[in-house]
Amino acid sequence: MALRFEELIERHHDEIFAYVWRLLASDGRNDRKTESEDLVQEVYLRAYRSFSRLRANTNHRAWLYKIATNCAYSRLRQIRDGRGKIAALASVAAATGSASDTAASDRQIDRRLRFLVNQLPAKQKACVTLRYLQDLDYPEIAQVLGCSQESARANVYQAIRRLRLALEK
Amino acid sequence: MTTRTPKTDHAVVKQLRAALGDPAPTALAHSRARLARWLTDEAPLIQWGEMKSPLGRLYAAVSRQGLCAVDFGRGEAEFLKRFDPRARLEKNPQSVDRVMAQLSEYFAGKRMRFDLPVDLSTLTQFQKTVLEVTCRIAPGEVWTYHRVAEAMRRPRSSRPVGQALARNPVPIVIPCHRVIASDGALRGYSGGSGLKAKRWLLQLEGAFE
Repeated sequence: MALRFEELIERHHDEIFAYVWRLLASDGRNDRKTESEDLVQEVYLRAYRSFSRLRANTNHRAWLYKIATNCAYSRLRQIRDGRGKIAALASVAAATGSASDTAASDRQIDRRLRFLVNQLPAKQKACVTLRYLQDLDYPEIAQVLGCSQESARANVYQAIRRLRLALEK
Repeated sequence: MTTRTPKTDHAVVKQLRAALGDPAPTALAHSRARLARWLTDEAPLIQWGEMKSPLGRLYAAVSRQGLCAVDFGRGEAEFLKRFDPRARLEKNPQSVDRVMAQLSEYFAGKRMRFDLPVDLSTLTQFQKTVLEVTCRIAPGEVWTYHRVAEAMRRPRSSRPVGQALARNPVPIVIPCHRVIASDGALRGYSGGSGLKAKRWLLQLEGAFE
């Protein structure tokens, strides 16, 4: 029997929520829960509109992730545009300061890492989140992002390398 | 105190998992509940039930507008497959009590016409007109596809009429079995066991030996 929309919520809601929650992770915003909720709502609304036109062999999980990625990046662009340069510079200073402290706590490193993840190019950020936080395999990541598996693999590699080098500084 | 700056890729991944974390269970539950409320408002509700009949297991479903599906002699999964995948399906025998009561009377030979609101909203205007004309055929009577087409003032549309009848979502209640070919052949029937079921229904109504 074909998958029903209710099952699409039942099966994938939690991981899609976690995905957008992680993509929205950054310092200085306290309303991540509401933002994630709004985004998940938007993801499912978009999915609902085109659900009955899907092909029978569609990978529903990858399809939802694709919608979620698009929604999250639109939202992140809005946030970035709305913030202004002063806020962005303040955020850089705060993150850099915490890293130079030799007695940095676990919490400070986590904060710095979140900051660094947010500085990654969009595709690298999506790739690394999908691979290591959402546990998607490379064929699925390629479907979600509309790229080749090699490209997905290279983006994950570049993202991890970039994070490691930044943390070593 | 020493820093725990990750030195290897593996350590970065581990640190990344810790940094980005998991949403709280309460956040997930809240979002899930909000989504469920939205779906209740957005998606149509289809309630359905089943009963035994002389033609095999019979299923019926109702929407807010009325009876939207009848099928028999097939499995549950096959029956449910027909609905918009976005609809909320709910097995609720009480919702189809009236439908099942009238169908039982029909099978017992105590009723030949149905008094039920029918939901044909998923059909085209042409299909609706074909089914409306078909409802005019009296029990015990049969019309040809051509006669139905003529009654619609579309005398050259016998074939589309046949195609529309094949998509009748509520067989028996809308008596598409009362339409046969010009040469007297039963031609086709989409319900249950096909022509065997059509013959049985026409015999029940006294239209066929």
